[in-house]
Amino acid sequence: MANSLTPRLSRRTVLRGLGVSMALPWLEATSAVAGSLPAAAVPPTRMAFIFVPNGVHLPAWTPQTEGYGFELPRILKSLSPVKNNLTVLSGLTHDKGRANGDGPGDHARSASVFLTGAQPRKTEGENIRSGISVDQVAAQAIGHYSRFSSLELGVDEGRNTGNCDSGYSCAYSHNISWSSETTPLGKEVNPRLVFERLFAGGAKSQVESGAKQRQALNKSILDFVSEDAKRLQPKLSRNDNLKLDEYLSGVREIERRVGLGVPSAKIDASVDYPVPAGIPKDYREHLRLMCDMMVLAFQTESTRIATMMFARAGDNKNYPSVGVREGHHELSHHRDDPDKLEKITRINEFHVQQLSYMLQKMASIEEGERSLLDNSMIVYGSGLSDGNRHNNENLPILLAGSGGGSIAAGRHVRYDTETPLCNLFMSMLQRMDVHVPFVGDSTGCLPGLSG
Amino acid sequence: MSCSRQSYWKIFICAAFLAGSLEQTASKADEPGDSTPADVSASSAAEIVETMRTFCYDCHTGSEAEGGIKLDFLSEAGTPSVAIESNVELIEKIILVLKEQQMPPSDADPLPLEDRLNTIDRVERMLGAFDCGSVSRPGRVTMRRLNRAEYDNTIRDLTGLKLELAVDFPSDDVGNGFDNIGDVLTLPPILMEKYLNAAHSIATEVFQSKESIRRVFPIQFENVQSLEEAVEIAKSNANSISRRVFRRPATQQELDRMLQLMSDAWNQGAEPDTIYQTLLTALLTSPHFLYRVEQDDPRDFVDGSRALNDFELASRLSYFLWSSMPDERLLNLASDGQLHTAKQLAEEAVRMLHDPKAKALGDNFLGQWLQLRQLETLRPDPVQFPFVDDALRSAMRRETELLFETIVSENRSILELLDANYTFLNERLAKHYGIDGVVGNQFRRMQQPGLRRGVLMHGSVLTLTSNPTRTSPVKRGKWVLDNLLGEPPPPPPPNVPALEESGETLGTLRQQMEQHRSNPNCAVCHTKMDALGFGLENFDAVGRWREKDGREIIEPAGELPGGSQFSGPVDLIQLLVNSKKEDFARCVTKKLLTYALGRGLEVYDRCTVNTIVTSLVEDDYRIETLVRGIVISPQFTQQDLGR
Repeated sequence: MANSLTPRLSRRTVLRGLGVSMALPWLEATSAVAGSLPAAAVPPTRMAFIFVPNGVHLPAWTPQTEGYGFELPRILKSLSPVKNNLTVLSGLTHDKGRANGDGPGDHARSASVFLTGAQPRKTEGENIRSGISVDQVAAQAIGHYSRFSSLELGVDEGRNTGNCDSGYSCAYSHNISWSSETTPLGKEVNPRLVFERLFAGGAKSQVESGAKQRQALNKSILDFVSEDAKRLQPKLSRNDNLKLDEYLSGVREIERRVGLGVPSAKIDASVDYPVPAGIPKDYREHLRLMCDMMVLAFQTESTRIATMMFARAGDNKNYPSVGVREGHHELSHHRDDPDKLEKITRINEFHVQQLSYMLQKMASIEEGERSLLDNSMIVYGSGLSDGNRHNNENLPILLAGSGGGSIAAGRHVRYDTETPLCNLFMSMLQRMDVHVPFVGDSTGCLPGLSG
Repeated sequence: MSCSRQSYWKIFICAAFLAGSLEQTASKADEPGDSTPADVSASSAAEIVETMRTFCYDCHTGSEAEGGIKLDFLSEAGTPSVAIESNVELIEKIILVLKEQQMPPSDADPLPLEDRLNTIDRVERMLGAFDCGSVSRPGRVTMRRLNRAEYDNTIRDLTGLKLELAVDFPSDDVGNGFDNIGDVLTLPPILMEKYLNAAHSIATEVFQSKESIRRVFPIQFENVQSLEEAVEIAKSNANSISRRVFRRPATQQELDRMLQLMSDAWNQGAEPDTIYQTLLTALLTSPHFLYRVEQDDPRDFVDGSRALNDFELASRLSYFLWSSMPDERLLNLASDGQLHTAKQLAEEAVRMLHDPKAKALGDNFLGQWLQLRQLETLRPDPVQFPFVDDALRSAMRRETELLFETIVSENRSILELLDANYTFLNERLAKHYGIDGVVGNQFRRMQQPGLRRGVLMHGSVLTLTSNPTRTSPVKRGKWVLDNLLGEPPPPPPPNVPALEESGETLGTLRQQMEQHRSNPNCAVCHTKMDALGFGLENFDAVGRWREKDGREIIEPAGELPGGSQFSGPVDLIQLLVNSKKEDFARCVTKKLLTYALGRGLEVYDRCTVNTIVTSLVEDDYRIETLVRGIVISPQFTQQDLGR
């Protein structure tokens, strides 16, 4: 099978695979000279967040009973192989996804609030502002333990255009990860590029001659451009300096990684995966490749934190492979039409099937006494509850994995409506050993996750 | 809060009177009065505020304000004229709905005809009075990062190599309808990493051939005799390349640092090629290349703004019209201090419009303004439209681009975008349109292509304003209002589903929609949107001509608010061109100015927009007049002091 993730294959295969790849990222080519990251004694806890647009058909999503032993409803059926690693969370709410005086624009808000819990400032362009997303809170605290502090993935390739949603810049509907209130993080949508970024450097450094000279030159280049930026700072306005801060953070992140070195031993000991050819035409294949990339990144400890958008907020593509010819967003305004509800359910099933594919893969990868899935926390859900009503309470949220054994999975847990979704994020951060007073509009942790 | 819903139909009864009376008031506004302008302004403002408080305030206040339109400022501290001047954008929206008889809604207390007309008149006089007055300033553009298109084009013009590396960069976010907006163009760490890798690849590629090395470093640096000579050559080369990479001459300090970088490389034992590659990589990663920096020296500012220098102007011109770096001529004009005069700027703009690089304006401005870029990812229902493939999609897009490119290259009227009686077809597209006699992949100009007139009857626009399985008159109508007339309708109120989605109604789409419009909340906007959209129902969801929708015969006749009737699509276009050409010109001007500046427009930009529209009207709407008007405007040639 072309895209299977078979653990433990030879280093040669990896190098052969890498030989196919194009010009290697220069950045990584130098780094083997420097020291490597220390290997963790216990497998670390990973976390990921997956966003789906337009809400779901809740009656086919929410289990009938609470606690253990619930029956998987139709949309979640495909998750049965990993049911014991699953916690369905009902009742959670994103209050900041509501208008709260800002008028229409629920779709844009549903994405920007998803991981930030912050009310986005309504603007088409000027002074964009949301909040730091939970993944980036973690990345800023513990990202330095791995080569990549976080990965942001997506599948929407086309160039952006036009207006996205009712007076909100497209930055709000197209991104879920924000490294600061003003910086949404762009997504990688090409699996080949993710792969090359993750792995190419490690192999190249083995054969690179004159690596030491290269590294010295590269360091001079980084010094030169940081100096350019620093000399520019006093000559710019406040807004311009915000931009330059982004530039300098980018340079610092690269300097960190160049100084860090690539734990290449980890790579060739555990992974065999052909270099992806690029972006496949088929949406399902594309999603699965990106899921593979996320699993690879976790498996090789390239990062501990990832986010992925299965589609942008308000997405209107059709799903002919499951017999849905109408657009998703168009259908989501279903007005209880049974035909439309059936079609939405099929789209929801389709997305969950891809999640299931990924979770099963993670469950099959052993890490000491547990599986990679056991050692992870994967949140899957939407920033809207019902696409017709555009409501933000009782959001469809799944938590997969048991966070290294700290979560009693296999249950359906119902919380009081209006319990902030951010409380879940707080509980997850704790399990990542990240301690912050709050995330977004959190009011505390989510009780009862440990059973 | 509740708003009574009783006298819904009254609003339409007075509609006919209004259309005529408005024209009269417009001329009345020109008559000189007895009182001083300040008096007029103050007393007018008080009356405007009074009227709005009486008729609008009840529903439009507090956190539950209808449609998100909050008029709380009317009761805040300060004089009425200050209240109005500091909320001009909102006031403009209010005037629009008053003119269009959209507000107050029919179920609220009716606004007497006289009050309505007086309010419109007063507000327009006030806005006209301070348009070019005290609030006029050039505005400030946040430092812009090169977007993907600009990066690729700049590298192409810098090196002569068509590398197109930006396809691997994360996509640029969009604000105000475009992906070149300074505030929205962020630089996440992954992009910084890609910039570094790209710079390295470019430096490697350049050194693949002597020719491209010489293009970047004009002075031969191989086989030099002495260290002194090598240093002199390095100085010259650094000077030459940095002027093109930074789009301005480097400072002495910068040159010293470049030489230091090269000498460090030499000390590392690097070969000459590697030394020069190191320099190039560093320059292509510098913020002075990746951003269009307009540095602020407070000493240059007079009354809070300053004229941009010649090099900054060269970049503004080249990124506006070419999405790329300035050419040698622009840089030389800038060096000579010759570029900043209005005459020279206008002359260069026209020259640049006739350069092949101006194709970028079609790719990037038109592609986003009309949303043609969406065609790449649209997937019409494969069962009904199995023939839609990449070739057809790109032919559709090309047709619209060619019309625009023709208007540019022949300096034609922008109104032809609406009503051109010619178009551009290749065999594939002609067949799609049911037009015979076009053979081959080559596009050719064709007069009178059936009943088709202008972009509203192009396959591109018709497809991208449809749902995957069917047309959406609402989407089409909204698209026209948003993109052609500059009257974007407010979004639907929360919890009201899209109009045409009901499973309970029966009959044709039009009958269903009419049924829905009996809901006064929806009727306010849908009356107009739907009329426009239904006028185009003769074109199916992928832009083919049709007489029937399913079994129902399409009735393309309709009526716009105000009573203007049309018999079908061509008639509708004619109606738009006759009665809305100035609105269209204003809309295009605002879009192009937004794109040219890289920021959303503000109240203080009104004066410039008005000036350009006036000159457009006087010059038969020719596109060069529009572009000239933009490049000589204060908005384009000056910058506000940054905060």
